[in-house]
Amino acid sequence: MRELPRTAVDHALHAGARYADARAVVRRSQTVATRNREPDTLADGETEGLGVRVLVGGAWGFACDPRLSPAGAEAAARRAVEFARASAAHGGESLDLVPVAPAHGEYATPPGDDPVDVPLDDKLALCLEAEEGLVRPGIAVTSAFVRALRETRSFASSEGADTLQTLWECGAGIDALARGDDGRIQSRSYPSAHGGSSAQAGWEHVVSLGLAAEAPRIAEEALALLDADPCPAGVTTLVLDSEQTGLQLHESVGHPVELDRIFGTEAAYAGTSWVGADAAGSLRYGSELMNVVADPTTPSGLGTFGWDDEGVAARRETIVEAGVLRGFLSSRESAARLGAGSGGSMRADGWSRMPLVRMTNLHLEPGQGSLEELLADVDDGILMATNKSWSIDDKRLNFQFGTEVAWEIKRGRRTRLLRDATYTGRTPAFWASLDAVAGPDEWRLHGLTNCGKGQPGQHAHVSHGASPTRFRGVQVGPSS
Amino acid sequence: MREAPEALALAERARAAASGDEVDVLVQAERSGFARYANSIVHQPTLVEDSTVTVRVVRDGRVGSVSTNRTTDEGLREAAERAGRAADLARPDPGFPGLAEPEPTPDVDAWDEETAALGPEGLAERAWTAIDGAGELGLYGYVTAGLTEIAVSSSTGLAVSQALTDATVVALAAGEGLSGYANATSGAIGGLDPGATAREAAEVAARTRGAGELEAGTYRAVLSPVAFGELVWYFGWSSLGALSLLEGRSHVAGRIGEQLFSERFTLRDDGLDPDGLPKAFDFEGVPKQPVTLVEEGVARDVVWDRRTGKRAGRESTGHALAPPSQAYGPLPFNLVVTPGNATEDELAQLVGDGIYVTRLHYVNVVDGREGVFTGMTRDGTFLIEGGRVTRPLSNLRFSTSFPELAATLLGLGREVRLVNASDFYDERYPYGTRVPAVATERFTITGTGSGPGL
Repeated sequence: MRELPRTAVDHALHAGARYADARAVVRRSQTVATRNREPDTLADGETEGLGVRVLVGGAWGFACDPRLSPAGAEAAARRAVEFARASAAHGGESLDLVPVAPAHGEYATPPGDDPVDVPLDDKLALCLEAEEGLVRPGIAVTSAFVRALRETRSFASSEGADTLQTLWECGAGIDALARGDDGRIQSRSYPSAHGGSSAQAGWEHVVSLGLAAEAPRIAEEALALLDADPCPAGVTTLVLDSEQTGLQLHESVGHPVELDRIFGTEAAYAGTSWVGADAAGSLRYGSELMNVVADPTTPSGLGTFGWDDEGVAARRETIVEAGVLRGFLSSRESAARLGAGSGGSMRADGWSRMPLVRMTNLHLEPGQGSLEELLADVDDGILMATNKSWSIDDKRLNFQFGTEVAWEIKRGRRTRLLRDATYTGRTPAFWASLDAVAGPDEWRLHGLTNCGKGQPGQHAHVSHGASPTRFRGVQVGPSS
Repeated sequence: MREAPEALALAERARAAASGDEVDVLVQAERSGFARYANSIVHQPTLVEDSTVTVRVVRDGRVGSVSTNRTTDEGLREAAERAGRAADLARPDPGFPGLAEPEPTPDVDAWDEETAALGPEGLAERAWTAIDGAGELGLYGYVTAGLTEIAVSSSTGLAVSQALTDATVVALAAGEGLSGYANATSGAIGGLDPGATAREAAEVAARTRGAGELEAGTYRAVLSPVAFGELVWYFGWSSLGALSLLEGRSHVAGRIGEQLFSERFTLRDDGLDPDGLPKAFDFEGVPKQPVTLVEEGVARDVVWDRRTGKRAGRESTGHALAPPSQAYGPLPFNLVVTPGNATEDELAQLVGDGIYVTRLHYVNVVDGREGVFTGMTRDGTFLIEGGRVTRPLSNLRFSTSFPELAATLLGLGREVRLVNASDFYDERYPYGTRVPAVATERFTITGTGSGPGL
């Protein structure tokens, strides 16, 4: 496996490429899920193959082959060059890559209990134990799941890069659906909806989530939501828990600062950006409390690696400093076009997709104080927690988010429970209204596995660290 | 019907390597290409080739499932052994319905030789044809064509396979302050005219310059087939599968037999529809059955797989997903809305004063039980004044009830379009909705977003 990317690169150069890189990937993934205390999913998958990316003239080409063999490497390289040559036949822009020193070395997720090797029965037992805590009258559907992944990536480029990386991931979550006599339903999840929370860590991460211990609270909240009042409509002070703050960061900061979006290459599907390529250093993105970093060195982050899929070494970069935009997420190509930066955010989903500019780990730096101290300074407002729905426009300006649960805040204290809460806004005005970020003790890392982008589609696994946040003058309301 | 003998042979090799009370094997094979373009340059051309084999072993009521793309004898043997070990370690699964028995397979034609043979040069050529069609505007999107093979082999004697082809062109024609969108999908590359699709997008774009804003409120609206097709897909995904029905998450749960929508609204799922992207069987090898979901506004049924069928005492309608997605329950992949008899101009006349929507963006389910979806309009939103499409509008945030929208239909278009519903994540599986444009009394706008253009 280690030699195959080099073999593919050599074939690509021989076929006429002026630049080539290749990744050989072996991925093992498992999902164990239970539903209503019965086995639901016991999936154990492996996939392997090799993807080759080439530059012929000013045109890219990408092809892949599932055979991890010299023949597969040659076939993928030949087809990638063929496609690049056909794509360039009608012209193309000149295309440069920002120079980087060729990467050499190995990287692995720090040691822990390999989550893939944990016996299936232990995973099933953990799910069933967690589900037991959810069971009570009125809860119509209970579910629990764990996931584990181990991926090995070998990379080589025509510039001499040669790296080997082994990454582990695991995660878990529980969900409860409460149903009233009249057919109304409410759901609660832990640690988040849409796939729980994952980390690049050993099995100890799953154990540390404490699913069984949290289950009774989740079930009780789902039941209580059935009788809760809907979130009132109005403009008010909004406090977000750290998970929803992380998703807000993802959608309204992470995606808009991807340079490929800014340059229009994702316009047809994911969209473009309200941020201009010349905005670094001058654009006020939010209030002075807003400090955002992209950090692929974060321990346990799903976007943590030694090198990205162009062989650029991981490094922490400032994106927003005291509310002012400072940097972008970039590739070697987009950094060269901008004339600044050096890439470092190119990631591909497995072996059969071309790398794209993706988030790594994007964090809102902590402020000070606790969640309770944030609430103490709210005379009248809403606290929202655990994302339920999300949507944002193609330039990442107008957004609407819904959460599973909310509480009214009166005179500094959390009061009645509210259901079906949503809030909406426009990105710069919203972040300008940020007037408090809780401190390091409240800062949590949340790992998402469902960030979609690209055509054909690719899923990226990313993490966001955030503390609870407070925003003034936000439009909130019920979902329907 | 074009079968897939190589995929079936692969499935049977894997099955022969496995042992259990029951064994079935699913093979999903793909050979596809994307000529993706942006700013009128082909910039991410991608060729994909893969075969995934999923082995399911049943021992003493315990089920183990393993997938691999290692199709050597060694790879298949290891996957089969792992599936057996997984079954041994699993717990009894009382909801498991057993494996499907052989049944006659419907004869559908989903194969096109030219599409299956299309190589990189042919894809790139069509991409450049699209780019030329956009004229002065930049073009963004892709031309894709692919071959998908599905095969299921089971210890019950089931042995079915099918080869499918599909092709799609997506065209966003855009510049500073203007953008328009069009797409087209067919089972055959020859059924597409990339240049014409790009011209259609450019013509929409030309009318979007100088977009104005619109106050929040509930408006009458005309939704293009692309826009309506996406809402229909989301409604099908969230409400028209048996699992969401049985768990009470579906809008139609407890409401089957009730008049929930306009009498003008009839919705079927028809995997055998020759004008769609037809399929003979699902991922369990069960033959596809047409299902009437909504008949003249009355909720009639949802789609079923074997597990949900067992739970409810129903037969599968042939709508199982591939593992591990089976946890989502069965889904309708071939939704068809019965057309009306209006032209789009006549739909605008029915609306009188309202909005025209070309395309939606980032749709998400806000409340599945109530069928409330949010998202944005983009790349061609217009005001309708006095029964005519007039001025361009900025992109609008909608947060609207699909049941309410479909209960207040003013009319449906006479032209039905096949709208691709796949974003081509994971293994390729062609699917889409066949829908007309519609006019509705109620489409709720809750805000304004960015303007058209890049």
